[in-house]
Amino acid sequence: MRMAVPDPSLHIKRAKTALWAAALASAVLLVVVPVYLLVKYSISDAASINTGGAPIPLWPYHPTFRSFTYLFSDAHFYGVIINSLIIAVCTVGLSMCLGVPAAYVLGRFRVPGRRLLLLGLISVRLFPDIASVIPITEFFIRLRLQNTYAGAILAHTLLALPYVIFIGMSAFESIPADLDQQARVLGANRFSVFFRILLPLAVPGLVAAAIYTFLLSWDEFIFAYFILGLGKISTLTLYLKQKLAYSPPQNLLAAISVLLSLPVIVFSLMLQKYMTTGITTGSVK
Amino acid sequence: MNESWEKEKRFKIHEVWPLFPAAVYLVGFLIIVGVYLLGLSFSIEKNGATAFPSVGTVSAVLSNPEFRRALLDTTLFVAVGTPLELAVGLFLALILYQQFRFRNFIRGLFLIPLAIPVLVTATILFILFDYPGGHVNHLLLGHYGFFPALVHVPLNWRGSEFLALGISMLGKVWRDMPISMLILLSGLNAIDPELFDAARTMGAGLRRRIWHVVLPLMIPSMSAVVLLRSIEMWKEFIFPFVLAGKYALLGTLIESMYNDWGNSSGAAAVALVLVLCIVATTFVFLWITEVLRKHLVRT
Repeated sequence: MRMAVPDPSLHIKRAKTALWAAALASAVLLVVVPVYLLVKYSISDAASINTGGAPIPLWPYHPTFRSFTYLFSDAHFYGVIINSLIIAVCTVGLSMCLGVPAAYVLGRFRVPGRRLLLLGLISVRLFPDIASVIPITEFFIRLRLQNTYAGAILAHTLLALPYVIFIGMSAFESIPADLDQQARVLGANRFSVFFRILLPLAVPGLVAAAIYTFLLSWDEFIFAYFILGLGKISTLTLYLKQKLAYSPPQNLLAAISVLLSLPVIVFSLMLQKYMTTGITTGSVK
Repeated sequence: MNESWEKEKRFKIHEVWPLFPAAVYLVGFLIIVGVYLLGLSFSIEKNGATAFPSVGTVSAVLSNPEFRRALLDTTLFVAVGTPLELAVGLFLALILYQQFRFRNFIRGLFLIPLAIPVLVTATILFILFDYPGGHVNHLLLGHYGFFPALVHVPLNWRGSEFLALGISMLGKVWRDMPISMLILLSGLNAIDPELFDAARTMGAGLRRRIWHVVLPLMIPSMSAVVLLRSIEMWKEFIFPFVLAGKYALLGTLIESMYNDWGNSSGAAAVALVLVLCIVATTFVFLWITEVLRKHLVRT
């Protein structure tokens, strides 16, 4: 009777699969654990944070939404959310008003020196935020725009506009070229072609650009910190920074962080396609 | 002929006018940033009056020990953080390079760090690396059964320069790893498997195949990661601002000079140095990439 000899290549294959599975599990943990712990802290009771030397539990002893109810019982917090909303919505409005026409031109016409023009349009974003914020704050002080909504909106528009132009440009480019030509032949003027044909077709991409702009403004910190300071107009990021400085209970910090992140995570996952396009465009030859 | 050229020219200007407001906005701010950055850096306050041009501010900043310390720390931050970002990005990209069930779901999961606001990521680390409590200290002290004790006393993470900048770097790498992953994954996907097979058929071993087939083809994406990540490392502000406090990098030094010391000229001078560091790094990396590419292709 012959014994079955195990195939050595099968062992190697299994070992490779096990190694890959271990790598996958550790990568998933690397990504998920910090997020899980943030959520866990946000619903932790006081005893789960101040444990008196005992190990901090991996799940709260008595999960509670008290941090959230505390935040929402604070009138100042509502003011902060409204400020963030005002700035983000106005930034979206201004960025779209400026960016969509520019994206239309760049996406539909052969503009001479297009590459150079695009480089010129993103040049201001090539400066580190922490470097460009000093000149812009000084300029806004001179115009008395510091500590104003307008200052924050103008600065956030500066940050968002190149993204709106690039995302919008690809949205207009993706529309078949002869569509507007046919409409022109049939007698439609340039404005009709833009508003009745091209704009409706570009809407998905432009909505993505608008949401991206909203999120950029919603979680922006550096320009808000320099232009608004920790003064009267406070945004959610400034509110969180203010709280960090006073080392409040960690569940409160986590609850603010969750509220700040929630719209960003939800919309970012919805906009995955555009995010990855934006990231990889131009970065790989 | 002249007439038709004029017509064409007028026609084009008429077509492209909607571009002008955005162009004026962006280029206008670019000019403002440039003019103010240079204007502030090369001016100095003397007896209540501002003197321009003057190298006084720049030379005062360059001889400032805090600036030198911040420049050194930032250089180390870039030198260590950039390869780390490349390694972590490659690790995630290689995992996703395989075909498996739920691949798209896992890919979406790996993008989560990018979707979390930077300030929130910094806050997560602020909480986890708390002293003397905090999950990380409890983990290292062996308070959880699944992990051995590695230290006997809790570590004051934000109270030591090395640890504070270390966790700042950790936060930066964690937050940005999806970007590196996506770029490297697109590089990996661009490699034609037939090339790899052909090299094997021609007798090339695994080492030679990786060195002479995969690596040269991966150079564009790897250099993109190194270049983009190194620039981001130079620019980093929020993580050290929240986590490293008094241990300044160039970014946080700009903030403290401007907000704490009221020295806008000094802050602008440091910002100028930061911009020059980024430009220099970009040129050095592009040169190294070119040399490396030529070397690998030739051999």
